[in-house]
Amino acid sequence: MSEPLLRVEGLTRHFRVGKLLSRQKLHAVDDVGFELEPGEIVALVGESGSGKSTIARLLARVYKPTAGEIYFEGKPVSNLRTRSQRLAYASDVAMVFQDPYSSINPAYRVTHPIERGLVLHRRDVARRRREAEVERSLTEVGLLPAARVAGKFPHELSGGQRQRVGFASALAVKPKLIVADEPVSMLDVSIRIGVLNLMTELREREGVSFLYITHDVASARYVADRVLVLYAGHLVEEGPAEEVIQRPKHPYTQLLLSAVPDPRAELGISDAADVGEPPKVIDPQPGCRFRARCPFAIADCETVTPPLRPIGPERLVACHVAVAEAEDAALERV
Amino acid sequence: MRFVARRLGFFLVTLWAAVTLNFLIPRLMPGNAAIAMMSRYKGRLNPNALHALEIAFGVNAHQSLVHAYFTYLGNIATGHFGISLTFFPDTVAHQVLQALPWTLALVGITTIIAFVLGTAIGLVSAWRRGTALDGALPPLFVITSAFPYFWLALLAIWLFSIKLGWFPESGGYDVTTTVGWNWTFVTDAVNHSILPALTIIVTAIGGWILTMRNNTITVLTEDYVRMARAKGLKPWRIMWTYAGRNAILPNLVGFAMSLGFVVGGAILVEFVFNYPGVGWMFLQSVENQDYALMQALFLLITVTVLIAILAADIATAILDPRTRERG
Amino acid sequence: MTLPSVADSVEPAGATVGSGPPEEATRRSVGADLFRSVLRNKKALVGLGLLLFFVVLAAFPGEIAPDDPRAKVYPPGLGPSFHHLFGTTAYGEDVFSQLVFGTRQSLLIALLVGGLATAIAVVVGVSAGYLGGTTDGVLSLITDVILVIPIFPLIIVIAAYERNSGLFTLVIVLGVLGWSYGARQLRSQTLSLRTRDFLEAARVRGERKSYVIVHEILPTMTSLILASFLGAALYAVLFAAGLQFIGLGDPNSQSWGTMLYWAENNEALGAGMPYWAIMPGVCIALLGAAFALLNYAFDEVSSPALRLRKLQRRGVEAEGAEVVPARPQDPKNILEVRSLSVAYASEHGPVVAVDDVSFELAKGEFLGVVGESACGKSTLVYAIARLLGAPLAGEITNGQVLFKGQDMVTLSDKQLRHIRWRDYSVVMQSAMNALNPVLTIGAQMRDACEAHSTMSRRQIEDRSKEVMRLVSIDPVHLLSYPHQLSGGMRQRAMIAMALLFTPELIVMDEPTSALDVVGQRSLMVQIKELQEQLGFAVIFVTHDMSLVRHFSDRLLVMYAAQVAELGRTRQLFEKPLHPYTHGLLDAFPSIHGPRERLVGIPGSPPDLLRPPTGCRFAPRCPQAFARCQAERPRLLEVDGELVRCFLHEPAAEAPAAKEVVA
Repeated sequence: MSEPLLRVEGLTRHFRVGKLLSRQKLHAVDDVGFELEPGEIVALVGESGSGKSTIARLLARVYKPTAGEIYFEGKPVSNLRTRSQRLAYASDVAMVFQDPYSSINPAYRVTHPIERGLVLHRRDVARRRREAEVERSLTEVGLLPAARVAGKFPHELSGGQRQRVGFASALAVKPKLIVADEPVSMLDVSIRIGVLNLMTELREREGVSFLYITHDVASARYVADRVLVLYAGHLVEEGPAEEVIQRPKHPYTQLLLSAVPDPRAELGISDAADVGEPPKVIDPQPGCRFRARCPFAIADCETVTPPLRPIGPERLVACHVAVAEAEDAALERV
Repeated sequence: MRFVARRLGFFLVTLWAAVTLNFLIPRLMPGNAAIAMMSRYKGRLNPNALHALEIAFGVNAHQSLVHAYFTYLGNIATGHFGISLTFFPDTVAHQVLQALPWTLALVGITTIIAFVLGTAIGLVSAWRRGTALDGALPPLFVITSAFPYFWLALLAIWLFSIKLGWFPESGGYDVTTTVGWNWTFVTDAVNHSILPALTIIVTAIGGWILTMRNNTITVLTEDYVRMARAKGLKPWRIMWTYAGRNAILPNLVGFAMSLGFVVGGAILVEFVFNYPGVGWMFLQSVENQDYALMQALFLLITVTVLIAILAADIATAILDPRTRERG
Repeated sequence: MTLPSVADSVEPAGATVGSGPPEEATRRSVGADLFRSVLRNKKALVGLGLLLFFVVLAAFPGEIAPDDPRAKVYPPGLGPSFHHLFGTTAYGEDVFSQLVFGTRQSLLIALLVGGLATAIAVVVGVSAGYLGGTTDGVLSLITDVILVIPIFPLIIVIAAYERNSGLFTLVIVLGVLGWSYGARQLRSQTLSLRTRDFLEAARVRGERKSYVIVHEILPTMTSLILASFLGAALYAVLFAAGLQFIGLGDPNSQSWGTMLYWAENNEALGAGMPYWAIMPGVCIALLGAAFALLNYAFDEVSSPALRLRKLQRRGVEAEGAEVVPARPQDPKNILEVRSLSVAYASEHGPVVAVDDVSFELAKGEFLGVVGESACGKSTLVYAIARLLGAPLAGEITNGQVLFKGQDMVTLSDKQLRHIRWRDYSVVMQSAMNALNPVLTIGAQMRDACEAHSTMSRRQIEDRSKEVMRLVSIDPVHLLSYPHQLSGGMRQRAMIAMALLFTPELIVMDEPTSALDVVGQRSLMVQIKELQEQLGFAVIFVTHDMSLVRHFSDRLLVMYAAQVAELGRTRQLFEKPLHPYTHGLLDAFPSIHGPRERLVGIPGSPPDLLRPPTGCRFAPRCPQAFARCQAERPRLLEVDGELVRCFLHEPAAEAPAAKEVVA
């Protein structure tokens, strides 16, 4: 089998917290591994503080991993030495940010990031052709009429339009992978679908892969082929989107799904009265990080960190007990 | 507590920087002013005094710079500031201690008055936004804050002392009264301090009105102020405990930060009024090239400002629980 | 009847940039914007005028001054006259000429020191803020130390050793000592920029650090850099004059400070030459005031919160606003809102944020108010609660809010205070912002109790513990400060606070939107349980209608300041009447049912400053037809629900369309 587009192995990132002499470490991401194929959209789902944004920043080389390695097209990212190698990676892996109101520099026209992308990564585009190229990428993300949009400043565009500018500047460098960090969470509901649709269109048209980072399981199901569920820095479940959402195996995934507000669901008021919140993982002991909130926890969960293990075709789950127990629970729910 | 330790650390670093500047400045000046100064003293002091000064300044030709520096630090630490030329043969330390109470009383009290008054006016004018009070006071005091202290002092003397004769022209007290804690002397001293005090207040108050006003306006848009309104609290309660207490926090930092500036201005006020405080003595020492006294006074001013800043820090910590934990 | 589809819905996602302001207006930069607002500011104009005046004096002293400033040719001590505007000095020089010639040095010092100090401040402040870590630690320490050391005495010390130093030395010393205040501010601004995504975007793009600093950070800090320049210039003018005044400058230089030095030495004020001493000071003060005023104005321009706008009531007209007939409140309703309109002032004129909204709320009812951002939903509920004011500015321009028999709109602040929190309370979007950060949770509860009751301290404590238990928080957290609690707990604590007096109505403005899905769900369940247990009515504002699906009795859908649809929740979800509601429901991907492609709603909400002439939703409506562009639809009653849409008029011509009288 050929090498996937992106392979992440044992990715770990700790942050020192507290004061100068403090040795406390926040384990934002611990031992995370996954793969992403060309043309695939993978959703990374987790609540705030689960480490999903840290993973995005590790992939974008904003942070260096504490341990583990990222392989892009088989080549380890930590081996990028020269500036030209790093630039080449930056043009292969682009990023779209969460906050459309802060992701474009207010001092410049909205085309500034697109132009800079061309200057840095698309030397083939001659200076005089840049304007046309900028307009082409604006058109590609549905910002019409492009020539007119190009003259605007960020504050003259709506949130949805700005987020499209974010995609346009990511696309302009002809990336193979776009890491989209909560690209719709700050947009109005009516506009979100448009941006999600844009991702699937771009995948079909340009063949770009996406790592879609979100807290919204329903939108993950809407766009993604596969879903990764992250809890407190650990990957707890992985599998095809539809599988994971219809038959969640990990108790956390089940909790998450039961909490999703769903206009079409015929549920009454559920009894999900879990008031717990994801822990801040500072200097953790071994053991499952979900155990305190888990209705199925057993003695092992206290001492042994459950590894991610296969439980079906393309399905992985990190739970000691959940397979049998959770299956029952899941069956009950259906 | 970590917070206090940190602030004390900063205090010490700044103090060290001031002491070192004091040591270095005369040596960095073209022609090594320290040595030039010693040669100037030569004709005027007896050899013993000269030697004492040499030690105090560490300008011994036989010492290396580093050695001189440590001798100097040692002298400072033990309070040996040398002998004053102006008030020969009195020691610098003794002279400085005489001037200190005057300055503490005048500059200390007026600075606090200016801060409290400015903060209150700023708070109220933000609270009564758009009223005549708010329209008049802040811009007025922005302009007065641009007045040179010493010039305002000159005008005040001319108008209130020379023309109107309401207040004494200069000095800290009437030389004919006996210095001490008696009624005549105290009222006389207060009478002498009114004009300089007003001068300092009028020029210093503007900055604090403005920052407090702007802080309060920002704080007034915070949800917790709206929440306080929703709770039906009395307006004064909202103004002080919700708006004021939060708006004053950055102002306290500002207070600490601008103290150095205010003290600088106050020096000139003392000079113009011939007020027998540290500032007046400082400028006297400059005029008489009494460098030992000058350096000691500069250190004293720095230490005073630092103590005030420490006080502002502690006040911030008391008012803001988040500071206490952040350390 | 066939409905023509919208002409320009070619783009599936419809992000077409609509007819915005004219092309010319879009071609302006942030710098130009700043410049324009400065020109509109009176203080800035005065400051600029003064500065310009001095620049002219400094540029052409020979042409303006009648005399050589050093020519000692006149009788000394002359009073003001036509020839000697401000008299002469004790040496027989013309004071006016000296003033004119003195301008150049003061201005030069101000500009040079301002420039030097600002340059250092930018380099130190921005590198400290951007590079962080040890660099920041060291640079910040140096900045703070220099800031705290009393600069003026230090300058005097330096000047004492280096007497009569020239202009150059003075500028260097003032510049090198005067940058720290600006550096501190630039650093904290840079720190706050560091969390802005556009800097991270630049780094991810592969920009060099130097590019990020020079081209991404600096251009966004123009106004702060200007402020730092003005501050340093002001300080330079005052300090330089002070030095010269005490005789530490060059006594032969031509400057205002030196003039004051000579005037003071000759006791000019006492000796009948007052202008000799007064005018240089006036000039220093005016130049200083010019810098101070400009600084003040920049502050105002760059932080919008400081600008005060007054609503011009004239010309503010809500579409359906009419005089509301006085009619007593129905006793089964806790609240009746009748034709409520709210307007606020914007830079470009008044904006009607809530346009003729009416609804009723029965006792114990749960009403959801849904809509997109800026549709007026929050303004509506804060108007009802009589809590408008910055940042949600606005004034009620029309309508009634009947609550327990009295019209809240007409109550005075004092009257309102008595019913607040006792009879209705408010829960806000973010407890982090809504709780006073410097008071404990318990103290904030005590505040409310003391304002409305004569409970003893003991009773207050018991009641506080009781409500904390109601929302499942350990009462020990009464002693906690807001920042010590987690997001979910803060939100619960705020709800607990709202329950102190068991009010009959609680207004909730997106109380769950700051929480994660799991926390959101459990908080909703909790709110519903409390409501059933205690029987209060709820107005619940949210942008996410799926959230209230299982909790609200009725839903009010707002679009562009107006009611688009109002009806029972279940019915509204099953059979939405308004195309907007329909679009909203279609905009939510689901975790159930088949995976199908959704379209959402093309375009974006209209600018309330210039709402569309016809139906406000028409430009985005897939079912719009000619009439929608031309006429304003009224609220119609259909199956006991209200909807603002022409599609539901019984017949196109029927004049008997049942209009709803508010």
